Amino acid sequence: MSEKNYALVKVLLLIFLGIWMLFTLFPLYWQLITAFKSAGETNLTVPTFWPDEWHPENFIAVFADKSNFGALIDSFVIATGNTLASLFLGTLAGYAFARFPRQAGGENLSFWILSNRMFPPVAILIPMFFLFDAMPWGTDSHISLIILYLVFNMPLATWLMMVFFRDAPRELEEAAYLDGFTPLQAFRRVTLPLVLPGMVSVGILCWIFAWNEYLFANLFVGSAVRTFTIVIPTFTNGSQTLWNLQMAFSLIAMIPPVTLFILLRRYMVRGLSLGVVKG
Amino acid sequence: MAVTVGGGASAGAGATLPDWFTSKKKNPSNLIVARWVPIALVGLPVLTLLAIVIYPTIWMFYHAFQDTNMMRLFQHNWSFVGFENFKTVLSSARFGDSVWHLVLYLTFGTGLEVVLAVILALTLYEVVKNSLLRVILLVLIVLPMMLPPSIVGVLWKFMLTPSNGAVNHALLNMGLISTPVEWFNAGVSLWSIIIADVWNWTALPLLIIYSGRVSLPPAVYEAARVDGAGGWMVMRRITLPMLKEVIAIAFIVRFMDAFKFVDLVYVMTSGGPAQTSELPAYIAFQRGIREFAIGEAAAYAIVIFACSAVIITLFLKYLKKVLKAQAIA
Repeated sequence: MSEKNYALVKVLLLIFLGIWMLFTLFPLYWQLITAFKSAGETNLTVPTFWPDEWHPENFIAVFADKSNFGALIDSFVIATGNTLASLFLGTLAGYAFARFPRQAGGENLSFWILSNRMFPPVAILIPMFFLFDAMPWGTDSHISLIILYLVFNMPLATWLMMVFFRDAPRELEEAAYLDGFTPLQAFRRVTLPLVLPGMVSVGILCWIFAWNEYLFANLFVGSAVRTFTIVIPTFTNGSQTLWNLQMAFSLIAMIPPVTLFILLRRYMVRGLSLGVVKG
Repeated sequence: MAVTVGGGASAGAGATLPDWFTSKKKNPSNLIVARWVPIALVGLPVLTLLAIVIYPTIWMFYHAFQDTNMMRLFQHNWSFVGFENFKTVLSSARFGDSVWHLVLYLTFGTGLEVVLAVILALTLYEVVKNSLLRVILLVLIVLPMMLPPSIVGVLWKFMLTPSNGAVNHALLNMGLISTPVEWFNAGVSLWSIIIADVWNWTALPLLIIYSGRVSLPPAVYEAARVDGAGGWMVMRRITLPMLKEVIAIAFIVRFMDAFKFVDLVYVMTSGGPAQTSELPAYIAFQRGIREFAIGEAAAYAIVIFACSAVIITLFLKYLKKVLKAQAIA
């Protein structure tokens, strides 16, 4: 291809990018305007591409059922609990793999941890259900999902923390020991501050994955505990789906992950590409 | 935090590195400490993970060889049937169809996503020169990835409603189609899922490839410019070859996800109509959890498990090589 044609290709690429943006944004636009429509307007024979009337009260109506607010709280508790547990365990393992690669079980062990994230969860879904059913806390509880989500979030945290600990120079820690710090002091005062930005980004990734999880939640919880992901499909009026409320509620539930992503996208891009895995 | 290396802290004049940190042998008791600290650090995370996955894995392998269903399970009355479940699975048309669906999904979902991601990521980096605009576009492109599968499924199901859905009417208004497309009929519903999946997940390979492009050394491009290489030449001879590994990783990540792909199928079509949009992982889910054929579901799971184990092992080998080359691991 000649360089002149390449200039033409660039223009075509820009047009393609434009089309892609349209494809990406149209569903989000549709979600937004549907959230403001009346239930009747969402079911017209010919859909309106701009709401006839605006109904911001939909955003209050979704909480007419108090338990819907509780679902957001449940999701928050589960996502936060799981993030803290994943970060704690992932930091321990990540530190060990970064500082003592051979003594801590080496490559095989760290890759085994990572492989847990990659296996299809369906493979263990049913026995997992019976296992948790036999536990004192049962399946329908916060703790059951907090533990379950460790299967995909802890490997991510371990691997990312391992990379961040490797980036933190070992010499600084050595210097701290020579200055008479105890191991815990050295870790807390020297190493931890160095990896803290990385840790925050890992935490946010874990949090978003746990916040968005649907499959396990759908099977495990439902009455005592309900996550927002399993509540969304339940906005119906008898046989009629209340699309406007579904969309309004999902918009509210999207606020935390989207805000986190916009604020911390730089870390997250790094996290996603280093982790090379998703939940 | 401010650590004055070497300076100031004369209090620890006699202090040395702890043995467990250097793992240098001094005396037997310290040797034990040096050996055990790393293991203690790794132990808790590894044991936690083992505690969660070991029982379900053994259970699955055991019941794959039993004629267990929900009733027999509760009566503790199942019996050994050898490879019967595997025979049922591998000879069933349902499984055969789902493998074909998986092939379609891998080609037009996963494959297309990666191709689109390469084009879009490089367009974004090479052609869009305004950095603010670039960040805005990147954030917008990634938005769909931030949504949970239940929202994605519900949203696309709503938009693809044949009679009064947004997509059909938008296409009708633009004159691209003359009659509404029946998005959830047999043979079409799988494509609806693939469209929603492309919308949802193209951003992941895109982010991986984009950050791969960002981290390519500028010096190489400087040298190419000095040598008078044009844009297309640079793209074909430098950028694409150097991104080869990153693109491969992006593809494999999505490839492995295909084997666990259940949630969108479940929310959008439940595999229907008449099982025409089922993927293997979804059948394992459906047989076990909706249809209570636990032995058979376990066999399905193991077949999928085995396939993904092969792929994951190959991938991890490849990843080790790439990470070694980049001196990360």
